[in-house]
Amino acid sequence: MAASTHDNPDVSIEKPRPTLEELKERKRKSRQPVGGCRETITVSMGPQHPSTHGVFRAELDLDGEIIVNARPEIGNLHRGVEKLAEYRTYHQFIPVTDRLDYISSFAMNHAYCEAVEKLMGVEVPPRARYIRTLAHELTRIANHLLWLGVHVMDLGAQTFFLITFRDREYILDLFEMLCGARLTHSYARIGGVSKDLPEDFDRRCREVVDFMPKRLVEYENLIKSNRIFLKRTVGVGIFTSEDCATWRITGPSLRAAGVERDLRKDEPYAAYDEVDFEVAVEYNADVYDRFLVRMKEVRESCSIVRQCLDKMPEGEYLARDAAHVLPLKKNVMSDAASMVQDFVHVFHGPRIPEGEVYRAVEVPKGEMGVYISSDGGPKPQRLHLATPTFYHCQAVPPLFEGETLADSVGIFGSVDVVLGDSDR
Amino acid sequence: MGVADGVPGVVPANLEKLLGFGRSFSFWPLLFGLACCSIEMMATAGPRYDLSRFGMEAMRASPRQADGMIVPGWCTVKMAPRVVRLYEQIPDPKWVLAMGSCAISGNIWNTYHVVQGIDALIPVDVYVPGCPPRPEALWDGLEMLRERIKQSRHAYDGLQRIPAREIVGE
Amino acid sequence: MGANGENIEIPGAVKTVFAKLEEEFGERLLDSSLFRGELTFVIAPGDYLDILTFCKESEDLKFDRLDCLMGNHFPEREDKPFQVLVHLVSQPNNTRLRLKVLLAEGEKLPTLSGLWRSADWDERETWEMYGIEFDGHPDLRRLLTVSDLEGFPLRKDFPLEGTVGGRVRTNLKGKI
Repeated sequence: MAASTHDNPDVSIEKPRPTLEELKERKRKSRQPVGGCRETITVSMGPQHPSTHGVFRAELDLDGEIIVNARPEIGNLHRGVEKLAEYRTYHQFIPVTDRLDYISSFAMNHAYCEAVEKLMGVEVPPRARYIRTLAHELTRIANHLLWLGVHVMDLGAQTFFLITFRDREYILDLFEMLCGARLTHSYARIGGVSKDLPEDFDRRCREVVDFMPKRLVEYENLIKSNRIFLKRTVGVGIFTSEDCATWRITGPSLRAAGVERDLRKDEPYAAYDEVDFEVAVEYNADVYDRFLVRMKEVRESCSIVRQCLDKMPEGEYLARDAAHVLPLKKNVMSDAASMVQDFVHVFHGPRIPEGEVYRAVEVPKGEMGVYISSDGGPKPQRLHLATPTFYHCQAVPPLFEGETLADSVGIFGSVDVVLGDSDR
Repeated sequence: MGVADGVPGVVPANLEKLLGFGRSFSFWPLLFGLACCSIEMMATAGPRYDLSRFGMEAMRASPRQADGMIVPGWCTVKMAPRVVRLYEQIPDPKWVLAMGSCAISGNIWNTYHVVQGIDALIPVDVYVPGCPPRPEALWDGLEMLRERIKQSRHAYDGLQRIPAREIVGE
Repeated sequence: MGANGENIEIPGAVKTVFAKLEEEFGERLLDSSLFRGELTFVIAPGDYLDILTFCKESEDLKFDRLDCLMGNHFPEREDKPFQVLVHLVSQPNNTRLRLKVLLAEGEKLPTLSGLWRSADWDERETWEMYGIEFDGHPDLRRLLTVSDLEGFPLRKDFPLEGTVGGRVRTNLKGKI
């Protein structure tokens, strides 16, 4: 059903959506046959590599340029975060979650706090929910900008790295205004956020989200007019919705395959059910579509941030719940009850019911699930983080098989992997 | 070790100073990023805090072409042999900057899989604390490193083996 | 059955899941609970593969994604200290389910990597951290930790600092 652009330039031509069978056929055609090669060379796309995003290692069996087999190896950044969680109270674990997906730290804080609040049954006040939504979307913009810079740099264009970092710096400035840290925010607290919005934040934030879509137009023009980039990404790395479901690929890669799944709409949390936004979906399931999905997500994030600033309610930024939540810092030194509450939470920990919860949140890289099992004590009995990039690394063999070595770099970049998140 | 190793005199000493001066303005670190601090290292190489002003933006992917390592992030037991191997592959003269609390002492990761400080593995010249250190802090550390480069002082001067090799104790 | 054992009204989203599974398996579901809107069933190791295959292939349930598979250790329970938890997601129906299996020391479970490919690394990680073996797994070896680590880190009797004391493992020989 194509509407002609001559009649109405605002209506885009409806592109025919490929069916699953067509996508499978395209995938089969875009890859080289791998059977029947007698001799392969094994190369280690090792932990120190300019295009692996962190210390990821893949052992590749190459037949010329074609990857016959890929064996991924992770764990080079494993710290034992889940073991560490059993030795820290629920409040003390928040800075640890920062360092998981360190590019989008607030998203990790938020995911963890949502899970703990679900377990405790704490009601987050409206202002805190809006602030969290705002900060989460800023994190999403920052993450996608870095992704774009690094991905296009992997494909050879070094300029993008510099121009997206220029824009990312503005977002990091906003975070510095909010919570004092550029990268590892620790901004979310159980029951809200740690600090209220500063006075000048509204104006500065609006400036940033107003010029960000114009910058995106600049990037898209650079990319869409670049035949080399298009040739390297269109039709490359097709991963259908069936593959995504069985390999647990979530986030932009799943939405690029045509599945309209976004936890912000399907299982809303924070203030997402009170703001209007569209879910970015594309249908060709290739590297270029993942780029398009992420650019659309940045635009939607800018819109969400603007809506949050418009609708920001007055009130508390941290829940007042003595058994579960830390008191406001400014009251601790002046009010006896707050001082006692602070003492108990810092030296002992919050009061937690027994039980277990699993809460999944849409972080910029995908769906992150946090499982907490509590035995009633101040420290978790078991905390498990089902991070999205763990599964993205696992899907490397089907993603790489039959692709050339040059394409594999682009494909790996497009599924967006960060090893701190994957190894925990 | 140096051009004029133990040979006194005016000409070798001045030659050393000239070489040090030159090396300090084109220190090419290894493109090596472990964890969160590597994002701040990339931001330091970015347009706002520009590493290129002092010739360091050419981060070489191959250790053979590098002048030294900036180690950002915690080193795990699994990664430790590879860090040592990369260090050994960098030709002399080389310098190491441990960036971030994790590389200095393991930070909060006092767990079964994290090396509590990379100076147990390789000799370190400059320590830049922070979690992560701001680009300005990394810059300060790089200035200290450049001072050492100018004076041709290395962390391995006087060591016969790097610490990891001593621990293995052949 | 709620967490305390009384009958609780099941919210509509998980009602079909509960009804379908009760209808199909009835007695083989050893225990069920609903906490914070999440449905959990406890099943026996013998019924594990049957129930999970039904969850995946049934037309009404359509649990097409294994969100995560993980283990847990309760050293104070002497007869069945280990647990394996399976979290399932149905993308078309937007529902979730948790299935729990209680295991004794050394008891094995069949692998799920035939049903969901993402179970592969989940099971490797569960084995690596707890020592729970999975029959039929293509490649059960260490994933996240160094390949010759002794012991199972997430068990409660494994110390946080690890068993090789100090800052660095001393036997790096042969690895460099």
